Amino acid sequence: MSLGRLVARSLRFYWRTNLAVLLAVVVATGVLTGALAVGDSVRYTLGRTLEARLGKVQFASLPQGRFFRTALAGDLEKQLGGTVAPVLQVSGIVTNDDGSRRINRVQVLGVTDRFYAVGPGGRPLGKDPTEGIILSEAVARRLGVGVGDEIVLRVEKPGLMPREVPLASDKDRTVAARLKVQAIADDAAFGRFDLQANQIAALNVFVPLSWLGERIEQPGRANMLVVAHLKTSFSTREMAAALQKAWRLADAGLELEHLPKQNVLELRSRRVFIDEPLAAEALRAGGGSAGVLTYFVNEVRLGDKATPYSMVAALDGANLADDEIAVNQWLADDLGAKVGDAVDLAYFVIGPERKLREDQGRFKIARVVPLDDPVCDRTLMPAFPGLADVNNCRDWKPGIPVDLDKIRPEDEEYWNEHRGTPKAFISLAAGQARWRNQYGSLTAVRYPWREGLDRQIEQHLLSTIDPATVGLFLQPIRDRGLQASRGGTDFGSLFLGLSMFLIAAAVILTGLLFVFGVENRRSQAGMLMAVGWPARRVRRLLLAEGGLVALFGTVLGVGAGLLYTRLMVYGLATWWSGAIGGTDVHFDARGLTLLLGGLGGLLAALLAIWLTLRRQATCPARPLLAGDAAASLGDIVKAEGPGNGLPRRRLRPGRFGIGIAVAAFVGVAAVLLIAPARGGEALAGAFFGAGALLLIGTLALTGAVLQIVAGSWDRPMTSLQGLGLRSAGRRSGRSLAIAGLLACGVFMVVAVGANRRDPTKETHGRDSGTGGFALYGDASIPILSELGTAPGRDRLGLTEQGLESIRAVQFRVREGDDASCLNLNRAQQPRLMGVRAEALKERGAFKFTATVRQGREEGWGLLQTDLGAGVIPAVGDYPTVFWGLGKNIGDELEYTDEMGRPFRVRIVGMLASSVLQGSLVIAEDEFLARFPSVDGYRVFLIDVPAEKADAATQTLTADLRDYGLLLTPTGERLAAFGSVENTYLSIFMVLGGLGLVLGSMGLGLVVLRNMLERRGELAMLRAVGFGRGRLRRMVFYEHWGLLLAGLACGVISAMVAVMPALQSPGAQVPYLSLATMVGGIALSGAVWVWLAGTLALQGRLLDALRHE
Amino acid sequence: MVELIDVTKTYGAPGGAGTVGVLKGITLKVESGRSMVIVGPSGCGKSTLLNIIGGLDRPTSGRVLLDGGNLADRSDDELARIRNRHIGFVFQLHHLLPQCTVLENVLIPTLAERGGRSPRETHARAKDLLARVGLADRLSYRPGELSGGQRQRVAVARALINRPQLLLADEPTGSLDEGTSRSIAELLVELNKDQGVTLIVATHARELAGRIGQVMELSGGVLSDRGRP
Repeated sequence: MSLGRLVARSLRFYWRTNLAVLLAVVVATGVLTGALAVGDSVRYTLGRTLEARLGKVQFASLPQGRFFRTALAGDLEKQLGGTVAPVLQVSGIVTNDDGSRRINRVQVLGVTDRFYAVGPGGRPLGKDPTEGIILSEAVARRLGVGVGDEIVLRVEKPGLMPREVPLASDKDRTVAARLKVQAIADDAAFGRFDLQANQIAALNVFVPLSWLGERIEQPGRANMLVVAHLKTSFSTREMAAALQKAWRLADAGLELEHLPKQNVLELRSRRVFIDEPLAAEALRAGGGSAGVLTYFVNEVRLGDKATPYSMVAALDGANLADDEIAVNQWLADDLGAKVGDAVDLAYFVIGPERKLREDQGRFKIARVVPLDDPVCDRTLMPAFPGLADVNNCRDWKPGIPVDLDKIRPEDEEYWNEHRGTPKAFISLAAGQARWRNQYGSLTAVRYPWREGLDRQIEQHLLSTIDPATVGLFLQPIRDRGLQASRGGTDFGSLFLGLSMFLIAAAVILTGLLFVFGVENRRSQAGMLMAVGWPARRVRRLLLAEGGLVALFGTVLGVGAGLLYTRLMVYGLATWWSGAIGGTDVHFDARGLTLLLGGLGGLLAALLAIWLTLRRQATCPARPLLAGDAAASLGDIVKAEGPGNGLPRRRLRPGRFGIGIAVAAFVGVAAVLLIAPARGGEALAGAFFGAGALLLIGTLALTGAVLQIVAGSWDRPMTSLQGLGLRSAGRRSGRSLAIAGLLACGVFMVVAVGANRRDPTKETHGRDSGTGGFALYGDASIPILSELGTAPGRDRLGLTEQGLESIRAVQFRVREGDDASCLNLNRAQQPRLMGVRAEALKERGAFKFTATVRQGREEGWGLLQTDLGAGVIPAVGDYPTVFWGLGKNIGDELEYTDEMGRPFRVRIVGMLASSVLQGSLVIAEDEFLARFPSVDGYRVFLIDVPAEKADAATQTLTADLRDYGLLLTPTGERLAAFGSVENTYLSIFMVLGGLGLVLGSMGLGLVVLRNMLERRGELAMLRAVGFGRGRLRRMVFYEHWGLLLAGLACGVISAMVAVMPALQSPGAQVPYLSLATMVGGIALSGAVWVWLAGTLALQGRLLDALRHE
Repeated sequence: MVELIDVTKTYGAPGGAGTVGVLKGITLKVESGRSMVIVGPSGCGKSTLLNIIGGLDRPTSGRVLLDGGNLADRSDDELARIRNRHIGFVFQLHHLLPQCTVLENVLIPTLAERGGRSPRETHARAKDLLARVGLADRLSYRPGELSGGQRQRVAVARALINRPQLLLADEPTGSLDEGTSRSIAELLVELNKDQGVTLIVATHARELAGRIGQVMELSGGVLSDRGRP
């Protein structure tokens, strides 16, 4: 016989008790390990997604509305080594053959075989990937097409210059083609390529770069570079230096041309206007440089005579005062003007929010120049699209309203003979003062020609201009992606946090079951001590038994954890797919996680066992041997009194519990005071912290009450209820454990239920999540006009009846990470939307829940706050700011504008959960200052009377199909976001439900056990005349009191703990359903108690159980 | 061997009103190898006295000397060691471990301390003792398979496994029928005589008292000699 053998014997003999303990340990360890492994799975999925969407890409330059040579990729490759692939990316719309299925906002990628070389598979698709169209799996699935099917692709056709610049043509915005699907690109074939950190598969179609370049009239150009396979690690600065060496003027859209006739070297831009920083440097580049700004004026008028649509050049060195003008002979003749006359020029300029405004200027004629004067130079007219490339001025298609009826035969004649030769000249300063815009203030820079000057100027510009100023800068996309995936929603912590109570319930159950086993063997312990075993050796024996059970349970629990993880992953893929935007979560569990989960489970079980043992085995041998196996330690302590070698009570009963309760309540108050000042995870932390503290506090209070009741022997109890309470107090530890179990489950259910919200309610008010708008519009191709005004609709050709009543607030969009709750990654640079703040302010749209200036009703006006250089104010909704970004009011995010200049976006206001989720909103003028190349509007909030909403949706969708406008009822969009939150809550409700199952099991177990132990007492009560029904009632009162205590602790803790969440916008606590739920729990608990009591009071069953 | 000098034991009265004296100045001396029976009505404090002698309980005042050493001065661990090495207990309820065999139950006290005697030696002694109590053919039985008397015999064997000088039996026949009680009583007397174990038995069974040497009566907290039967 050895100690080990004794342990083995005991384990086998008490197998039922041990099995119960083992199962509890399995549950605790399984849930713990499973929760951690869910985190592993989501992390693994995000990691896999990162590989799928970035392949080998390390750095990338993102499209900035500009185009560079595809050859730049090769030039850069020479500097860096590795692989650099040029990509031409535009937005598009794709429909299946019969037009029955359509996908807007498709990412159309013009690629070469180099692109596939940087993909995850490192190889192109089987066939030649540079022919036909390749669809990503996501696109193919949604279109329902396969290889060999035909589809129609419509792509955005970017202008040479931003479409909204005066004179930039807004015609031919898109181009369509019917193409045969050559292949479907899976993940290995880079089908998920996406530079934005999002786990949801991008909607990609791939076409040959050369083909796309031809179709959108950007031949030989690209707007994106992806860099991979770098042998050494490069910093962003080193990448910039390499780019500086590799770039050419053409990459900035600049070209130098020797004009022999004028004997000058001219620098001009494909974008018509030369960017200010480039122009400034160009003027410094060579001696004798002269700036030129040639502009299109609507009219030159002298008295009642007017000449329509003429070019006027503002020249450096024109020798004219700022109010003087030189006119050519043709114009002087046409107007009958002479030196000294004053003429009025009328011209369009860009007003606020890029609206065209006609301005006028009066100039005095200083001289008249003959048409053969060198200054009357037709090359002074830049290549205005829609003007420079047409033969007849009746074919003009400039980007401004032109009344072709005003064009007279003599104007046509002038155009035919002299083309865009300026008819008048003013000083450069006067021209710039009027026509300077954010795209530039010069249309050309001219240098007196000399041999070799072109190379000299080019060298100077290439070395002095930062390519970033023309949107050429490489960003560490992979690092950012890693940061996003690592910083994303930590599902491990999330599941762990919300499983914590379930785990605690299982651990309490472990302790409870174990202590029952130990109590069964009290006399054994006494005998062992009587025969000379020291108490700690007895404890060790029992601990060894419990430890072995715990160890075995832990091993099984880790296995169960894997099953639990698989179940959760399956749940996320099916029932709860709404929570993660339909992402396929892949199962993964790391060895370390399993080890940690197993260790955590083992430690928790051992702790529970040790704590119960410590309490049980501090009892001396004699009382243990006294034969009354049912006597509790408390009974013995009371009976023995002081001075008998037993642990002495230093405090009056209940004092200790009250002390703990008070400390916990103070802690809760402190947490709740601090929490609202913080956001995101701090708030979540407050949730758990406050919840846990409150549970401890209320349970300690319950324990104290039980002890006080149990100790108040001087007050005789006079009722059956009193007897029940006294009985509950007799085993205060056990009673407390069961109340704790129930409290945990109820806490979970109530806390989660209180977070539920119904976003579809109250969607009509201006202060609701819809902002009072009926429709949310999302366009694939930016729309330049205003949908909400008659002229704007006219420009779009929207002439149908029924659209007069629509009003719209439009947003410019700078693409970025989706910061909505659909993105599991931590958004690094969320999408920015520029809006005219007044449009929202005057409508009082959306509800602000927090602003930087609390208490002051500024709302959208905050977007116009001056925060100093480099900082712009932004507004986002609560889920975006708190959860998507982990930020709060006053926090800032780093951005880079399209010229590579960093700037910060400061969150100055927060909206209640809204249809704007996922983006940050900034003022339109700030937006344009940072992203001048972004054309038009892509997001629309549309006001339309409810009864006309459907008709308006149909008309707009049909008429603007070439823009890929998708209109969604705002309530529907809000509900989609709401369903994400509610799906999360559903998951957690399931965990809470499991906690309740354990709680109920524990309750039933305690009732049975209590009854078994007190069989003698019950028999005595029967003997003195208690009826069976009365005994059952007594049992019921005793345990229902525990049930109520558990419910009260759980409900109170949950309600106080979710207070920060309740104060959050849009919180709609479903009190009725919660009350029903808690009532249901109470009822089910009552049934358990009744059932267990009835079973326990049946004699035969009692006997059978007693012997176990 | 065992000497009690002016031992008292009091308990707090219910409701906290004063104390109740169970033992009032007990003075007693039992020489090595002798046997003694303590009789008295139920609740008079016999078990308390036996527990104090065996170091399971501590006196409120007075001294308990075992081989000259005062048990009251010993720590709980020391008392456990003394019980293990020098004292054997037989209880009214046998407290056998249902999960262990008869032989294993007898060996339980040998597991109280690490090391100690060799397993071979203790196994041999356990078997001897079980043979001595008439259970040589029940070594691998479980307590559940034995009669009440057999179980109590196992408990006696268990009490003797560590060769105690003192054997304390608290109502050892209390839950047994007459025949079985007699056989247990004979066994105890034989052990006392054959093995020289000092025996103190607390009982209210007259027949048992009649078989054991000196009879002391505990009444009103006071112990008085009733001489030999």
